[in-house]
Amino acid sequence: MSDYGDSDYDMGGSDAYSSGGDDFSYSGDEAEASSPVAKGAKKSFVVLDKEELRERLGAGVSQVVELLCISDAEATRALRFYKWDLTKLQEEWFADPEAVQVKVGLVDEQPSTRRKEEVCKICFESFSVQDMACARCKHYYCKDCWRGYIHTSIESGPFCLDLRCPDPECKAAVPRRVITAVVDAAHQERYDDFAINSFVDDQRQIVWCPAPDCQNAVMSMHDQLGVAQDIFCRCGNAFCFNCKEEAHRPVDCDTVRKWMIKNSAESENLNWILANTKPCPKCTRPIEKNQGCMHMTCSQCRHEFCWLCEGSWAEHGERTGGFYNCNRYKRAVDKGEVDEQEQRRQHARQSLERYMHYWQRWAENDTSRKRALRQMEAFKSETQELISEYTATPVSQLRFITDAWMQVVHCRRILKWTYATAFYAFADPVNATKEAKARLAQHQEFFEFNQGQAEHYLEKLHGQVEKQLNTFVRPPPSPPEGEAAAAGSEAAGPSGRDQQGWAKFREQLIGLTDVTRIHFEKLVNEFEKGLDEALKEYDVPMAQASTSAAAATAAAAAAEEAAAAKAKAAGKAPADSRRITRASKRRQGPVDQEQAAIEHEAGYWQCSHCTYANEAMDSQECELCSQPRGATR
Amino acid sequence: MSRSPTAVAQRRIQSELRDWLQHPPDGCKLVQYEDLRTWVIQLLGPESPCQPQLYTGQTFHLRILFSERYPLEPPEVTFLPPSPVHPHIYTNGHICLDILYDGHNGGWSPALTINKVALSLRSMLASNTDNRRPPGDADYCARMRGRSPKETRWEFEDDSV
Repeated sequence: MSDYGDSDYDMGGSDAYSSGGDDFSYSGDEAEASSPVAKGAKKSFVVLDKEELRERLGAGVSQVVELLCISDAEATRALRFYKWDLTKLQEEWFADPEAVQVKVGLVDEQPSTRRKEEVCKICFESFSVQDMACARCKHYYCKDCWRGYIHTSIESGPFCLDLRCPDPECKAAVPRRVITAVVDAAHQERYDDFAINSFVDDQRQIVWCPAPDCQNAVMSMHDQLGVAQDIFCRCGNAFCFNCKEEAHRPVDCDTVRKWMIKNSAESENLNWILANTKPCPKCTRPIEKNQGCMHMTCSQCRHEFCWLCEGSWAEHGERTGGFYNCNRYKRAVDKGEVDEQEQRRQHARQSLERYMHYWQRWAENDTSRKRALRQMEAFKSETQELISEYTATPVSQLRFITDAWMQVVHCRRILKWTYATAFYAFADPVNATKEAKARLAQHQEFFEFNQGQAEHYLEKLHGQVEKQLNTFVRPPPSPPEGEAAAAGSEAAGPSGRDQQGWAKFREQLIGLTDVTRIHFEKLVNEFEKGLDEALKEYDVPMAQASTSAAAATAAAAAAEEAAAAKAKAAGKAPADSRRITRASKRRQGPVDQEQAAIEHEAGYWQCSHCTYANEAMDSQECELCSQPRGATR
Repeated sequence: MSRSPTAVAQRRIQSELRDWLQHPPDGCKLVQYEDLRTWVIQLLGPESPCQPQLYTGQTFHLRILFSERYPLEPPEVTFLPPSPVHPHIYTNGHICLDILYDGHNGGWSPALTINKVALSLRSMLASNTDNRRPPGDADYCARMRGRSPKETRWEFEDDSV
């Protein structure tokens, strides 16, 4: 998806999820609930459970059996040899069938024995040929010996899939019918599992879901493997197809790996250092003060200083308050100068602080995501029933709440990774030109603005679903007695007022879920497209955007006008007509004359908060987000 | 209807014994088989097609131990000391040869017989020109004292010797 124009706003028809392939059933509520991805976005993966994997494997094998006229065992072996790549097998086979047969180890069909009895080459006893079995090589063994041979092989691991005739000189594959005829159920199951494992492990486009108890596999239809791809398994796990870490779009796998390594190496230490130490004012080595007076001597550079004001100890003494106090520090606090000192100290450990800044936000969003996930589970298992009862709404119609929770979980994860990526993407460039630095600053501003926007709606949505929802987890106030009598039953629905509040809550939550999703899709898409490209789309000349607030406002006004016109044509609310500079978002005060004229002409006013097009012209509150008209973000 | 493995092993060993006594392989002589589970084979040092002649005129003794799961499981085959000096044979008699072991890189097949094993070992001696023990021989023997070669994880990378 490249465009989040106005027309996307109302997407979500019945076919919204359809592009994921026919077999990706989205009708199951688990599947849908666990995929808060863009409606209408291209789904390029299929979740396969064991049964589906078995079917696909079987279909692949039968295809080869038909195509090349070989046995199922040979087809399996050939496919395994070519990593289940049918096209490659086919190409090589038709180019030079004998070479493939030699490579894979297929043998020509030998004539059957004419005798009625044969000696089993394992137990050396004679059997009627009917009681024996053989591969294409026609080396006969009795069924008991076959069973022992195949069981032993299955017990020793996945190499049983390449099982050959027991004859040491013979390369013939043991056909499936021999295996199924002699092995017991437990061994058969293990054998099938090995085959499925091979089917998944040997193919680059299929991976197992890494969740601990999940047995599903996922097949990617992405044309490009080896890049990050978010996968939402039916078990609820969201992971990256490429690196198997948690899903992390729009961040690439390398950044995630770097970030995780950095975290595991530094976070614990850093937390402690920041909480418990100050850097030596001279050599900046962190110093822990665990006892004693304020007179510090750095163990490394021997610099003597005051712990409180961090000034040289030479300037301290009786007159500055002695060893346990510091008048200079007190005065500085009184005069408000301490901030400056604080700044100096921060400067000394700027890189640490910078990392901590991003890490904390990363970690907070992670915690928040996990909590949201638990809350969602709690909602599904406990609260849902209560709310259904108190608001007289069938559980099936409470899906919008789960959807909101899922959106929160999904967005928390995206947000979390945007902090990791920002840490690397906007690091102070070394030896960069002035222009490059300016462009980077502009990128950062643009990115942070979008991030801030997305975060803002997420916070709102999170608050709504976390707190507002709770107000409905209690019995509705019982109606006045007269009414109750009139209703004639205790189970009468909730009072009219409560019902109204509930309807409003529902509408708002659905709207907010949508708006949040749109903002996050935008954030992700712009980042993936490259910020340069994204900026271009706003049609704002770079220099202007960053240097002239006035020009930016003008450009933004033009963009807004264009968006409004488009929206009018489509008869829908513009999803986005946002400006890109902070200057414009600081615009305050009542709607000005010109604005009023435009709105009048358009026939709606646009909420400056959520961009919803309100058709009630005299209303002073947005219908969707309930923010006062003209309020700033 | 499934036969117990012990009975299978018993019958199979008896058939092999019968076969061996009728057509003993070249340069091999069965010297002990009273207890059907333990055989001792006398191996005549083969003449080598190339110089130096390392084993001509010497005799060695192979001990074969059959397990209850024979022939699905390979027999335990070792040289009784003194074992021939060979880059794949340790002083304690353990032999690094793929057909003597099962598992994923082993070459044992239940269709192999002691007859074939004995012939393989003789040809292994015949083709050798390197009068050395395997690297780490002393270490290995110290570590494996009294244990079966089946407990070793063998790597059969070198087929040339």
